[in-house]
Amino acid sequence: MVRRYRTVENLKSRECARTLRIEDPVLASRLTAMGVLPGSLIEMVRCTPFGHTYYVKADGIRLALRREEAQSILVEA
Amino acid sequence: MSAAVAKQARTIALIGNPNSGKSTLFNLLTGLRQKTGNFPGITVDIKRGRFSLPSGREVELIDLPGAYSLYPTATDEKIVTALLTNPADPHYPDAVIYVADVTHLEKHLLLLTQLLDLHLPLLMALNMADAAKDIGLKVNTTKLSEKLGIPVVLISSRTGENISKLLSELEKLLEEKKEQPASFYSLDEREKSVSEAVRLNVGADDPYRALLLAHHHSWLPSLTEQARQTIAAIVSEKQFNSLKHQVDETLSRYDQFTPIVRQTVQHPPRFPSTTTDHLDTILTNQWIGPLVFLLVMLLIFEAVYEWSSIPMDFIEASFSQLSSLLKDYLPEHWTTDLLTDGVLAGLGGILMFVPQIAILFFLITFLEEVGYMARVVFLFDQFMRQFGMNGRSIVSLISGGACAVPAIMSCRTIGNWKERLITILVTPFITCSARIPVYIVLIGLVVPDQRVLGIFSLQSLAFTCMYILGVIAALGTGYFLKKVLHTRESSYLALELPVYRMPHWRNLWLTVWEKIFAFIWEAGRVILVVSVILWALASFGPGSSLKETETRVRAMASARGLTPAQTEDLVAAQKLEASYAGHLGKAFEPFMRPLGYDWKISIAIFTSFAAREVFTGTLAILYQLGSAERDISDPAENEAKATLRQRMREEKFADTGQPVYTLATALSLLVFYAFALQCMSTLAVVRRETGSWKWPLLQFIFMALLAYLSAWGVYNLFV
Repeated sequence: MVRRYRTVENLKSRECARTLRIEDPVLASRLTAMGVLPGSLIEMVRCTPFGHTYYVKADGIRLALRREEAQSILVEA
Repeated sequence: MSAAVAKQARTIALIGNPNSGKSTLFNLLTGLRQKTGNFPGITVDIKRGRFSLPSGREVELIDLPGAYSLYPTATDEKIVTALLTNPADPHYPDAVIYVADVTHLEKHLLLLTQLLDLHLPLLMALNMADAAKDIGLKVNTTKLSEKLGIPVVLISSRTGENISKLLSELEKLLEEKKEQPASFYSLDEREKSVSEAVRLNVGADDPYRALLLAHHHSWLPSLTEQARQTIAAIVSEKQFNSLKHQVDETLSRYDQFTPIVRQTVQHPPRFPSTTTDHLDTILTNQWIGPLVFLLVMLLIFEAVYEWSSIPMDFIEASFSQLSSLLKDYLPEHWTTDLLTDGVLAGLGGILMFVPQIAILFFLITFLEEVGYMARVVFLFDQFMRQFGMNGRSIVSLISGGACAVPAIMSCRTIGNWKERLITILVTPFITCSARIPVYIVLIGLVVPDQRVLGIFSLQSLAFTCMYILGVIAALGTGYFLKKVLHTRESSYLALELPVYRMPHWRNLWLTVWEKIFAFIWEAGRVILVVSVILWALASFGPGSSLKETETRVRAMASARGLTPAQTEDLVAAQKLEASYAGHLGKAFEPFMRPLGYDWKISIAIFTSFAAREVFTGTLAILYQLGSAERDISDPAENEAKATLRQRMREEKFADTGQPVYTLATALSLLVFYAFALQCMSTLAVVRRETGSWKWPLLQFIFMALLAYLSAWGVYNLFV
């Protein structure tokens, strides 16, 4: 099966992708309010030592995301 | 301020996203004319202040916590929604100044458009004009104002640019009665029907407010139980999926205002600011980042000790001078003793810690203002989650190194109830400034003043171990609580990492002042009351036993030919033994004996329940060093401490003749002080922050048991 989408977690360092949607509804409400929208350009900047927290940039705003949060944001393949 | 006066002044609310520079504007407008008050229903303080409009009219300004939208996730964000959905609230604003960061306008308009739909008199302060100029960003405020239908002023809260223009616009807004503009967002079919039903059954003046009641009915403090149930029934009958509608509404609002931003803001070709990115490659690097953090912490605690000793000595000396001055000039009477040994000693004990607390909070606030603390949250979130907390807890725990009271109050920024509660419950384990005098005396007693490998002083090493012990206890308890407490509420990080910027000094000073005030007021008044109670317990005894003791001891002293100073010390010691406190100490002795403590130590533990630092003072009196007492709690007075230590070494159990202060007893005491919650003020603050006595009582019992059992274990291991 060909994967149609990836999540932010799958992004390599310095890789960018456009967001499709956010699966967790509470997170979706919070992130859209912060300005992460479907179609926003998300860049993976770096992650913490054990890979559980991610530093991303979405349309120029810097965000810290947990792994579950990163997994919940679907991006274009 | 009486209620009538408060009513006359119009209330203006400052609302905006986090990092919009809202608090800087608040501080600029009100200066020191501000105070913090509790917001009814939610344990979050709001800041209120006053300032004058150009006409001279006074208005009241309230600073609401930063929020991204009216669909909040953290406790402090909820306050904005709670206030704006309840027009009956006495703080309900007559007008709102909405603060937005002009350099990120497209991210800051969501909440504004929500406020537009509540039909509040509204004015937008486009902040960070200075930063916009620096990066070459241009904005057409006239067109923006036209499109949004509200006045827009481009300001800088850092440089003060255009503030007078903002104020005259505000005055105009308050005077003129404008017709209500059309709503920004049109409710969809389902939202319309839910909103209609809520308005019919519960009553709300406009459709969007009614919709917000439907979204938030489960937690809004202003709703009656009946209204809550009515709305819950409407929501389930209409199959209203709150979260889905929140997201749809948000996206629809973006669709509407993004074109407006595009037409009015001219962005520079690309964002030239990369200083933050450069700094972050180092500061948030997965290996270097945590090391830098540890180094920063070491420097901070080093600075706290280096810088605080001089002001602490000064405060100490001033109080002891004032006290002896009063003793000389006032008649010898128990009221004089109450004033000097009760009230003044209590005040001195409180104020002595102000320098340490001020310096630590200054440094923490500095790191917060420059934006570094958000990076610390990022680096340690995962680590802290293993212990039932989250990245934000780290800031509270570090603050606990000064005083647990303001540290516990700072937990309000933690959104998840369980993580917030755990942070509140474990913060008192962190070594606070009040434990330091106790540790200094005890460590000096059992750890030789030597150096290992020629560099590390053994005593400093022991001191560091006590700090680590506190951290381990905090994390261990967190781990335990994580397993025991259950919540269905999910926890989120999703934290914005702000751009690094120079701190705004006025904000910094005001925040530090706020924390010190919290310590003096919240902790201080409890310490003062308990210090007076303890003074009474130590100064009075059953019947006339104290008088008899004094006569007997004086006769004995003159028979033995003691010097006047020795006599006074002996009298003080014997009187304390005969007092209520002495009786209590003796009553406690059977419980404390398994830990290696005699009745004297038991009294000292009992008296230090109010505040730990009382321990050394009490022991000094008991060991007949009353005349040297005032110097002992002073870290600089090594001689006085050495005397106390010398005296402690000689102390023997009355029945067995064995020395009291063996290595085992001293270690047992250290562990006891590290774990026991001997701080009334902390209990009072935990009660306020958690809303009931349940948690502070459990916390006290848990920490007391842990202290008792560990001290018992340590004593038996080394005895």
